[in-house]
Amino acid sequence: MRFTLIKDLKKDKSMNPILKGLLVFIVLYLIVDVFLKEQTMGLSSKDILHTLFGNVDEYVDPMSEALFLEFIHMEIFFEMMMLLTLNAVFTRLMYLKPLSLFVSNITLITAILSLITIALTYFYAQVFVFVYVISFFIWHIGAFYMALSSLWRLQFD
Amino acid sequence: MTEAYKYSILYFLVFSLLLLLSALSLFEYKIGFSYVEVLNYYLGNKEKFMVAKTVTGLFKIIVPHIMSFGLFVMVILHFLIFTRYKTKSELQIIIRLAYITAFLELFAPFFIINGFEFFAYVKLLSFFLLEVIVLYISFLLFWSITQE
Repeated sequence: MRFTLIKDLKKDKSMNPILKGLLVFIVLYLIVDVFLKEQTMGLSSKDILHTLFGNVDEYVDPMSEALFLEFIHMEIFFEMMMLLTLNAVFTRLMYLKPLSLFVSNITLITAILSLITIALTYFYAQVFVFVYVISFFIWHIGAFYMALSSLWRLQFD
Repeated sequence: MTEAYKYSILYFLVFSLLLLLSALSLFEYKIGFSYVEVLNYYLGNKEKFMVAKTVTGLFKIIVPHIMSFGLFVMVILHFLIFTRYKTKSELQIIIRLAYITAFLELFAPFFIINGFEFFAYVKLLSFFLLEVIVLYISFLLFWSITQE
């Protein structure tokens, strides 16, 4: 996190394009992640429940516990690293704006909530799937905003 | 801005706890916490229809974990540099212990499949020790953020 020590990131000839590249890749990750989830788990509560618990009418097998645990284990790691990095960049560039703290807090809280609720959906009660869907979209939109506004600030402000 | 970074670290700690919890569940479900279960998982068990792990199979599991372990341990440890624990000799022990334990946790299975069954204990011990170390670091960070 060397960039947190550089005084003016916008004028730094090396750090500026490095961070822009990182932010572009984060934007791509967020977009592709939505498509991937749509293809593998589904984005609606009905589709997600079909993936997790199977569907006899459509001959879909339920997701095994081992597969689910592997899935959530990887999700936690990638989300944690991606959001930590994005939040560090966003905080460094946008900390003077009052909306920034609100957006970063909401994004991180909903990201944690989405991970907890998908586990609760699988192990305890299907009703948590609704919270998962809402929190999944909120954190993606929040992270998307954080990445784009950081890019904007590096380029234009 | 420093306040904002504190929030960021707190969220990171929550993620870390979730990661530990999922690792614990995964280990318990796929391997088990006893010496015999670890041996069965890596060496196979005909009565339980369990296939022995191959070197290729182990590589497939370990390769993504090598990078992830290194990155995760580095990130969580480097936060301690910004606390009052920076100058304490205890930090030097924690840093070395964390990396050595992570190394043993990753590579103990290679010894098990090569006939050194004793390493089933090393696998179990290093797994729990790494969990405890990460929990301890998380506690130190949480304490530093909330109390200082």
